[in-house]
Amino acid sequence: MRRVLRALSFRKVSALYLLAVIFLTFSIWIPGRFLTWNNWKTIFENQATVGIAAVGLVIPLAAGSFDLAVGTEVGLGVVLLPWLLVNTGIPTVIAVLITLAAGAVVGLASGGLIVRMRIDSFIATLAMSSVLTAIVEWLSGDQQIIVTRTGFEAMARDQWLGITLPVYILLAVAVVVWYALEMTPAGRRIYATGGNLDAARLAGVSTATVVVVSLAACALIAGGAGVVESAALGGGDPTIGPDYLLPAVTAAVLGSTQFREGRFNVWGTIVAVYVLEAGVQGLELAGAPTWIPSLFDGVALAASVALARFEASTAATSGIRRVLKFDRDRGGAALADRPDDVTV
Amino acid sequence: MSAGSAVGSADEQSPAGRPASAAAGAETATAGPLSAMGGPLISVRNVSKTFAGTRALSGVSFDVGAGEIVAVIGRNGSGKSTLVKVIAGVYRPDPGSQVQLGDEGAPGGGGGAPGGGPVGLHVLHQELGLVSRLSAVENLGLCEGRGGAGYLPLRRRRERSQAEEMIGFFGASFDVTVPVGRLSAAERTIVALARALGRWTSPRNVLVLDEPTAALAPEEVGKLFGAVRRAAAGGAGVIFISHRLREVIELADRSGVLRDGRVVEIVRNAESSLEHLVELILGGVTTSAATGPDHREGPSLLRVENLRGGRVREASFEVQAGEVLGVAGLLGSGREELNGLVFGAKRRTGGTVSVAGTPAGPGHPRLSARRGIGFVSADRARDGVFMTLSARENLTLPHLRPLVRAFGRIDRAAEGRDAREWFASVELRPPEPERRLQFFSGGNQQKVLIARWLRARASVLLLDEPTQGVDLGGRAAIYELLASAARAGTAVVVSSSDAGELAELCDRVLVMHDGAVRVVLEGEALNEGAIERHTLDPDRAAGARQATS
Repeated sequence: MRRVLRALSFRKVSALYLLAVIFLTFSIWIPGRFLTWNNWKTIFENQATVGIAAVGLVIPLAAGSFDLAVGTEVGLGVVLLPWLLVNTGIPTVIAVLITLAAGAVVGLASGGLIVRMRIDSFIATLAMSSVLTAIVEWLSGDQQIIVTRTGFEAMARDQWLGITLPVYILLAVAVVVWYALEMTPAGRRIYATGGNLDAARLAGVSTATVVVVSLAACALIAGGAGVVESAALGGGDPTIGPDYLLPAVTAAVLGSTQFREGRFNVWGTIVAVYVLEAGVQGLELAGAPTWIPSLFDGVALAASVALARFEASTAATSGIRRVLKFDRDRGGAALADRPDDVTV
Repeated sequence: MSAGSAVGSADEQSPAGRPASAAAGAETATAGPLSAMGGPLISVRNVSKTFAGTRALSGVSFDVGAGEIVAVIGRNGSGKSTLVKVIAGVYRPDPGSQVQLGDEGAPGGGGGAPGGGPVGLHVLHQELGLVSRLSAVENLGLCEGRGGAGYLPLRRRRERSQAEEMIGFFGASFDVTVPVGRLSAAERTIVALARALGRWTSPRNVLVLDEPTAALAPEEVGKLFGAVRRAAAGGAGVIFISHRLREVIELADRSGVLRDGRVVEIVRNAESSLEHLVELILGGVTTSAATGPDHREGPSLLRVENLRGGRVREASFEVQAGEVLGVAGLLGSGREELNGLVFGAKRRTGGTVSVAGTPAGPGHPRLSARRGIGFVSADRARDGVFMTLSARENLTLPHLRPLVRAFGRIDRAAEGRDAREWFASVELRPPEPERRLQFFSGGNQQKVLIARWLRARASVLLLDEPTQGVDLGGRAAIYELLASAARAGTAVVVSSSDAGELAELCDRVLVMHDGAVRVVLEGEALNEGAIERHTLDPDRAAGARQATS
């Protein structure tokens, strides 16, 4: 019973409570539009690609590196796949694989900048983002690419149980990343590197490999999100990528406050993606102007970071309280033997 | 003092705010004017400080007059740093204690007496509080507002000549426009001195130097001493904390010897000798050998040859299976870097390390770990533990292979069993593997770190300051843990600034001095007093040893 209560405490699953609030508010406000199957189907389907990118972003964030190029990595996928389909005769499957590989190469390059050139991940991926913007414009001639080949858009339009495939792709990616992060030694090394780089190095972890591989994995997955998006569009749009950055970062950061006490994690991120989208969608259905999503994302990002900080500090204080209580219970004074910490 | 707090490195890492603010609190402390000329600049009267029932200082009294240099010496834990912190105002002393700047007379009353005026206090820690990317000119300007009103442009040329003048007062001349990070350690200390004294218009200052020479190369010490002498000649009173007795005798007029929080004696250095100071510092320290059962066996497991790097100029030694080897030495002797060099945490410039006859590569943590070397650093929080991960995850990280099942999955059940077993055997308190490591006490974090390497089957275990920040109970537990690891055939190397710890724990102790192993103590010759003696005065002690053998 206690365990259930603790698992449902506000600290751990605040986003779910937020979802409940959003749900109730709009259900009462605009029940006719908000409480429809179609509305929820749209929410799920529209956000699948954002979700894929956000799940990818969880990997480098867990390893302690930022990837500001995640948006343009999606943009690369959105443009490269249609470009390959229009300008070469290679089969669709091969084109998709080439697009994913291109994403991975981009990630390796960012990782190389960080590890070899010792550039801060923030700066290195910002630079990479600009380079990718240039590549995307060059490939597309700054125009939409229309793919006439058939069968290509099936991966975004086909349905199973009334829901289109991207939602299942998101689920599959999420399961794989979750498994890698939570269940394997590689995931353990990623969290260790993000937790304390020096300690990880001294514990025998090859931190350079961890950083490079996690950025490559992120870029590959973001490229995959781009592939799905281009299928949904039926072509390539050079302007689409950068819009992915903010929602993905917001979701990953807000997600880190869920379930795992401040650790970046996959399921928290996915919950965050949909909580945010439910809010945006509800506001739009209620007649809010088009600039609302940007405002909502911005406010949500700041609020989620603040929440994460608050989370960390309350976890720390309650933890210290537990330690103190434990020492009192023992009748000892473990902390009192360390004068530097106690006296001011 | 931790190994990490050497001047250079600490200076690199710390932003301007932190260390400077510790000193800044003291800087502003001024007292009422002095009524008589020639009175003490600072008088410490009957100062006591009690921590949770333990007396760190009891009834300490001394004076420092203008132009005088007074050294405070004593072993680790004798109360030196507590005294500095009380003087600096970081700690509030027990009731009845008194630290008076300037004359004893009522503060705030009777101003204007000849030679009087407020007395400035400046404490110079090992972290100097300089911004290493800024030049000496800029560092000197930082807290003085020499540019006039804040919005006016700085007068570069005038600032520069003023800086050169301030540095020149201390008998130094170097380029004041390069970032201070590129200056030598002594030059940086001089910049900090100039900043401390330059802002006082009155010559009535008290300067507290807390182990200023620990990070200095031997040839640089003279330069700094010249500067300190000039400061004293200018009328400042200097309190000089140091372990290096030769330097104490050379620089200071008097030495206050602290033992167990009391001033044992205040000696005039002109009438004293190195031997005398050593005896005063040690007092009745045990000199009887505390020989436990010896578990050394077989050929040497760890062999280190001609190791060089950082402050270590040359070190060669071997450790047998089952042996606990201690490394002693003052801060700056290379003792604090030896283990890191062996493991590869610090960059090596030469030498070889081999484990059980197999070379352990050019010094890279991952290769060393693979060869069976484990390293527990002195700065646990910085490069030892993962505070945000659970105790279980901290334990298993370097050795996950036996837990991996099909599809690369970690067997959680097996891992949990493993963690519970290890935490039971090291008596982790509380015994909760899932608790985040930040919520354990220092001693228990240390147990997790040691268990980490024992679990990874490290045959060589290197530890720096293994009981730093660990309470008494935890200390005993860690000693027992290391002893039982040695009984099981591990070769253990403990580097420590605590001679009592080394005497208790080790089969053999290397004493380092000036980057080289100077003396090896074992058997009958190994005791706390001998370790201290050789650490404080390697030449004479070594000479005496050779004479008797």
